[in-house]
Amino acid sequence: MTGRYGRYALLRAAQAVIVILLAYVLTFLVISVLPGDPITNTLRDPQNGLSEDEIQQIVAHYGLDKQAIIQLFLSLGRFVTGDLGFSLQSNLPVAQLLGDSLPSTLALAGTALLLAVVFAVVIAYGAQYLPGRVAPGLLRSVPSLFLSVPNFVIGLVLIELFAFRLHAFTIIDPDSAVATFFAALTLAIPVSAPLAEILIANLDHESRQEYVLVARSRGLTKTRLFARHLVKPSMLPAVAMVALIVGELLGGAVITETIFGRDGIGTLVQKAVTSQDVPVLQAVVSLAAVVFVVVNLAADLVSPLLDPRLQPDRAAARTEPGVVVPA
Amino acid sequence: MTANLALLRPTGIPRAVRRAATGVPPTVLLAALVLVGVLLWSVAPGVFTSFDPVTGNTAEKLLAPSAAHWFGTDYLGRDLFARVVYGTASSVTSALVAVLIGLVLGSAIGLASGFLRGWVDTVLGRVVDVLLAIPGFLLAVVIVSSLGFQTINAAIATGVSAIAVFARLMRAETLRARGSVFVEASYLQGGNRLHALLRHVLPNAYRSVVALAVLQFGTSILVIASLAFLGYGDPPPASDWGLLVASGKAYATAPWLVYAPALVIVATVLSVNRISNWMRKAK
Amino acid sequence: MTAIAPHPLKPFLTGSSTLLSVDGLSVAYGDTTVVHDVSFTLGRGESLALIGESGSGKSTIAKSVLRLLPHGETSVTGRIRLGGRDLLALPEKQFRPLRGRTLGYIPQDPSAALNPVRTIGSQAHEAAALTGERDADKRRALILAVFDTVGLPDPVRVYNSYPHQLSGGMLQRVLIGLTVLPRPALIVADEPTSALDVTIQKLILDLLTDLRQEHGISLLLITHDLAIAAERTESLVVLKDGVVHESGSSARVFADPRSDYARTLQADVPALNPDRYCSQRAAEAQPAETSGRAQIEVRNVSKRFRVGGTEIAAVDGVSFAVGRGKTHALVGESGSGKTTAVRLLLGLEQPDSGEIAVAGETVHGTSRAELRTLRRHLQLVYQNPFTSLDPTWRVRRIVREPLDRFRIGAQADRAQRVREAIAAVGLPESALSRRPTNLSGGQRQRVAIARALVSRPDVLVLDEPTSALDVTVQADILELLARLQRELGLTYLVVSHDLALVRQIADTVSVLQRGRVVEDGAVEQIFARPQHPYTRALLDAIPQPTGLPRPALGQRTPGRPTLGQPAQPLFTH
Repeated sequence: MTGRYGRYALLRAAQAVIVILLAYVLTFLVISVLPGDPITNTLRDPQNGLSEDEIQQIVAHYGLDKQAIIQLFLSLGRFVTGDLGFSLQSNLPVAQLLGDSLPSTLALAGTALLLAVVFAVVIAYGAQYLPGRVAPGLLRSVPSLFLSVPNFVIGLVLIELFAFRLHAFTIIDPDSAVATFFAALTLAIPVSAPLAEILIANLDHESRQEYVLVARSRGLTKTRLFARHLVKPSMLPAVAMVALIVGELLGGAVITETIFGRDGIGTLVQKAVTSQDVPVLQAVVSLAAVVFVVVNLAADLVSPLLDPRLQPDRAAARTEPGVVVPA
Repeated sequence: MTANLALLRPTGIPRAVRRAATGVPPTVLLAALVLVGVLLWSVAPGVFTSFDPVTGNTAEKLLAPSAAHWFGTDYLGRDLFARVVYGTASSVTSALVAVLIGLVLGSAIGLASGFLRGWVDTVLGRVVDVLLAIPGFLLAVVIVSSLGFQTINAAIATGVSAIAVFARLMRAETLRARGSVFVEASYLQGGNRLHALLRHVLPNAYRSVVALAVLQFGTSILVIASLAFLGYGDPPPASDWGLLVASGKAYATAPWLVYAPALVIVATVLSVNRISNWMRKAK
Repeated sequence: MTAIAPHPLKPFLTGSSTLLSVDGLSVAYGDTTVVHDVSFTLGRGESLALIGESGSGKSTIAKSVLRLLPHGETSVTGRIRLGGRDLLALPEKQFRPLRGRTLGYIPQDPSAALNPVRTIGSQAHEAAALTGERDADKRRALILAVFDTVGLPDPVRVYNSYPHQLSGGMLQRVLIGLTVLPRPALIVADEPTSALDVTIQKLILDLLTDLRQEHGISLLLITHDLAIAAERTESLVVLKDGVVHESGSSARVFADPRSDYARTLQADVPALNPDRYCSQRAAEAQPAETSGRAQIEVRNVSKRFRVGGTEIAAVDGVSFAVGRGKTHALVGESGSGKTTAVRLLLGLEQPDSGEIAVAGETVHGTSRAELRTLRRHLQLVYQNPFTSLDPTWRVRRIVREPLDRFRIGAQADRAQRVREAIAAVGLPESALSRRPTNLSGGQRQRVAIARALVSRPDVLVLDEPTSALDVTVQADILELLARLQRELGLTYLVVSHDLALVRQIADTVSVLQRGRVVEDGAVEQIFARPQHPYTRALLDAIPQPTGLPRPALGQRTPGRPTLGQPAQPLFTH
């Protein structure tokens, strides 16, 4: 497994690093090159109460008086060495802000991911195996419905219903287990839809394959057929989707955390946008890109281990006459 | 033969007949009807309501839905239905702008990538990777915060964040069409690369890309509504759908202020998704 | 064969000599009935073939017997009795014990018949469990033994492999072994060899016949190939559009078909009628032959590809020549290099060494202008008309494409030439405004031929031109090609795996194996006195039904009158 797989892994890892750096550059460009100069605007905002000296100091520290391209390299250099800078808003180190917000968001996104996977599997299984026409048909339209309801509407409805009417939780304590569950539910519903869609499509596809007929012709029951034959091939392609889903969760966290009043990465973004806190924004987006790229890399590296068809060096020589040649 | 045999099943004649008669499933017709309604709202809102969306009668504030005020009234006594109808144009147009940006730029990238291959593919592939690596909504938020809080900027931001999706699909479709036997056949008939690209590859790739564009129209409505909800669109008295929900949530005693515009969003996006699904399957 | 254990359900099947009886079977998908009132019986230990082309309902009947039709989409009426019990009336719970143990199934495409993400061994245990053996180690021993019985060289390696690591022939051996392992009373085999190379086909059919006879297993064989059916089974049921057209003993139906359709089928099987197109081809202009100028000359051409780090010679020092107005065939199985040879000739690939000359001029195939000239001389008809025509274009535009691209004739002339080409291939003018999706396979191939002909090339390269088509459609296309050759003086280069077909249409032949020409010469000579063992293997693979002598060389079998459109006036040159 070492030779070709090792080279493949190295190549993918190198690509991942490049993508992270490019993502940083892109964010930098979006923030500094697009019209408007958020940093100096914020610095000079009288509400910040910074003296001209302090402003000059900050400008010098970040090299804001230099050309954009030099600023970019300075900034990139600080990013590579792990210096995320200071929040313009609170003057705290950005790294500390991220560290404070991360646990809450991890709890939220982790629960949501779990819920989304459970929803997707239940929907896909039901759509395939519930008896009759009506129930599977309805389940098949659920992902489309989930994709049509804005995240903030789900959140508001859940709060209205479970916090205000049923008193299952209170929004005064947004980090309680029950509140976290409902916030995660808000986040999970739209995220589960594409996952359910791909599972349904894969199950449909695999069920039509000849090997399923052969297995049925040997008397396998539906449940055994599902467990032994269908689960693995229909779930494997979904592994490649996990990074996209994690990205969706991070994006969705902005709205969900704002609605539920949680102090997480999402709220941090929301506040940073409102106050044009560039270092925070830059850091959060870079963090999201790192998370995406790492998860994606992990999925890419794990897939060949799980799916024998993707293994590079296991194709054994065929012994019967006829060498396979590309046409 | 016994009844418990799964092979035996009455044939669905009425359904088949209905389908054969129109060629279009009834739910798709309903979805199309909803979209036509929404389009008419955005083109000629005045036809659908006699109320003014901006000025209200404070004596009639926070009224529940009734025959006079279908969606009730808000804290300034403005007719909510009128505000929804007048907010349609902005919500729909911005979603269209977003789709157009994603479609044009994404397709161009995907087409160049898939057709030219080589270093072009490598470079554009990394660009798309980067766009994919930043979660779409986060990217939209950053762009709109840099451009300024306006609905048109929200639309641009949403469009940019959709480029990667279009580029990936277009590249895949281009590669598929490019490797097909009929494109090789076209070379044998004296066709050159440009001819193959314009006459064979594009027409074959176009169908699934259009289906994605329709789907993306729905997604864009949601993303722009979310940005408006966070206050990153035009400020009041504009009445974008997301903004209506956001300002409605402050009044716990008047839940229709949230539910009515929310329902309009859901109905619209659901209809768009239904049509996109149908287009994909009709292929 | 010790690997195959007797099993407890056997006694259930003793009794009368009839094992399977199908009585008044009709099957409908939704509102479309695909099988109409079909009846037949199959005796214990006997074999029966269901013969028909695509859409004949033969596979549907097989799946009805196996109860493998999709749930909820089909309605099945009639009776299917196995050992006296009505299979359709059994609840699934009582039917399931019969699956695998009494009723075995061998599918069409072995490469799709095993789960791609599980090892062959783990799937084999599902079959081995049907013997009633509970101990996993003993099951493994049974599996390895049966792998050995079916001629798999390294049973342990096969056991540990994933399906994609084995060739189609090996996989079909695995499947046959696993199907026979529980010793079923009946095996339903659905086109068990049509996805395999011809020489492997024969080996697999031999294996199936041996095992079946050894263990007294009945066989229900589904096939489109009349010759295979007649060679391998005792009785036949000929189906068309879900209706039985004829049934009876294989030898009788084969020697003396009574229904029109069975007669047509019989006349269209290349293996049975080697001289089918002789009358057409006899009229070829003889003088052209004596001009001595070869239209195509390929001299010592080689081409290597890198596959996963190792170099493979796809074409290795291949030479052949084709005279004007003649038909030359390149014969070989997958991997023989025949397709690569054609691609080199057409300039789609560049040879590493060697020379290619078309119409006396050496082709370097590097400049665009030269390729354009080359391709005006030389046109290709692809194997699969379902992929070679752009689905978004209408027929008119497809056929016109070469005229527009090569800028042949004035605008008005082009439309006229398109109409002529369409008429020449026997399609009505109304076809011009259709899209390929609205045409049948045979019609599509006619469109592809029209497109190749419209620029009036001298040479047509035919890459397995009929292998994607039904046998009667095949015959129509071959007839069309023979007529076009005669009337237009075309030179053909045919690529095929089917020697029987080559025998019908070619004058000379090169037999390729692993990129090398192992034998070449006139068709009659190769057939009468094959020198190379590979050629002999290919010839042996042509099914030879018992009880019917193979038509002697030179013996004329009268050709069936041309179906479809009467011959159209050809190009108005």
